[in-house]
Amino acid sequence: MNCAQARDTFSALLDTRTAATAHAEARAHLAGCPDCQREFSSLNQTLAALDAMPTPSPTPRLRQNFYAMLEEEKHSAASLRIAATREHRARRVSLWGWILSPIAAAALLGLGFFVGQRSIPAATPAPANDAVAMRQEIKTLQDQVSKMGQLVGYSLLQQQQRPANDRLRGVLTSATLENPNDQVLNNLIGALALDPSANIRLGALEALYPHAGQEVVRAGVLASLPREQNPLVQVSMIDFLAAARDREAVPVLEKLSTAAAADPSVRDAAKRALTQL
Amino acid sequence: MIAAFEEIRVHPSPSVVEKPRLAPVDTSAEQRSDHALMLAVREGELDALGELFERHHGPLFGFLVKHTGDRAAAEDIAQTVFQRMLKYRHTYRDEGCFTAWMYHLARRSAADHFRKGNATPQATDPADLNEHADDTPHAAHRAATNDDHALLQTALARLDCDDREILLLARFQELSFAEIAGILECSVGAAKVRAHRALRELRDIYFRLQNEPIP
Repeated sequence: MNCAQARDTFSALLDTRTAATAHAEARAHLAGCPDCQREFSSLNQTLAALDAMPTPSPTPRLRQNFYAMLEEEKHSAASLRIAATREHRARRVSLWGWILSPIAAAALLGLGFFVGQRSIPAATPAPANDAVAMRQEIKTLQDQVSKMGQLVGYSLLQQQQRPANDRLRGVLTSATLENPNDQVLNNLIGALALDPSANIRLGALEALYPHAGQEVVRAGVLASLPREQNPLVQVSMIDFLAAARDREAVPVLEKLSTAAAADPSVRDAAKRALTQL
Repeated sequence: MIAAFEEIRVHPSPSVVEKPRLAPVDTSAEQRSDHALMLAVREGELDALGELFERHHGPLFGFLVKHTGDRAAAEDIAQTVFQRMLKYRHTYRDEGCFTAWMYHLARRSAADHFRKGNATPQATDPADLNEHADDTPHAAHRAATNDDHALLQTALARLDCDDREILLLARFQELSFAEIAGILECSVGAAKVRAHRALRELRDIYFRLQNEPIP
């Protein structure tokens, strides 16, 4: 960088707002150039003298004159007219608000009444064939509700990543269904076999009780029993199989009744079930 | 040599180091911006101009004193500026910057003042003499400082009016070069060049005055 280029940057270097970030190259040049140092120094001195100039205060007359002028302007014809216009406009808006609000409310009420009259047909005595149709419609709606319940339970059960609360809600939703389809039963058996939460496995088992008559359910519970580690759930499963009178369970129960690793309560429950079967 | 350069210190502008210590702001009361106040004035809330006067009349007066070198004239011009704010309030724009607008008006008012001053000689109000009598520096102080301030004021007065104006706006009024460019109706680059040229010019006059033999 030559002297002319460096001097072009002096205004930035002298401005405190930009000096910190300005022109490292120019600074380097300045450090090694006596002529530029003299130029920079003289400008800097001039600015220092300028900054040191006292800034006088105005006399009180300036303030007095200003407020006198302001008062005069506020009371001038034009200002009064503008103020009056503003006030009048505000009052007019307010007045219209008072008048229009009740009218609008009444109009809305009337409109609602009119629409209601038009859209709801007058009640007439239903003939006998209408009653049949209505029963049919109710049946259809019940089916739809039932399917919807199955769908909700199914989707909640499927989402193993969801919190245990949601999975438990899925099990409980499925438990309330009177006629769950195979998909729902499969999911309940899956929850019984695989869910990490003992509470949910117990919930699933509870939900499966009404369907113990089904072969697939009993087979599912029986298949889950050897995998189960929680004694409480194991005992509940054994009780389930005993209540279902599932003869297929005998070998598994015999094994459990003598298993040294099994909890004593489990062994007792297995022995008890074997006597029932 | 580098050590010598280290001695050169950039004197910070008064806006950075000599800011008056402000009283703690009461944050519970919502303080409106200059722009919001001026918009309120435009809409007819004239009392809002009082707040703007209190905020800005000091810096404006300081600018005008340095610009005119005459305190009485500076007060008259400051008065005119606030008068014009009222008179032309409807021209203040939604996207405007109040400070830039104020200095735009100040610049026009000062130009009118100088034009009038050139046309007709002005009589001195005796009351002004009394009001400003105490402002004269003490003789001993003047001797000690070699009347540097007076020399600089003389140097400022000898500057071209436009140069003086841009130098004072850039150095004292906390305006960005974009705002100054807006006031002077020129590009930002041109404003920077003009400000630096004005500083060099002032330096030359000031140093020449310092070296002149005392009559």
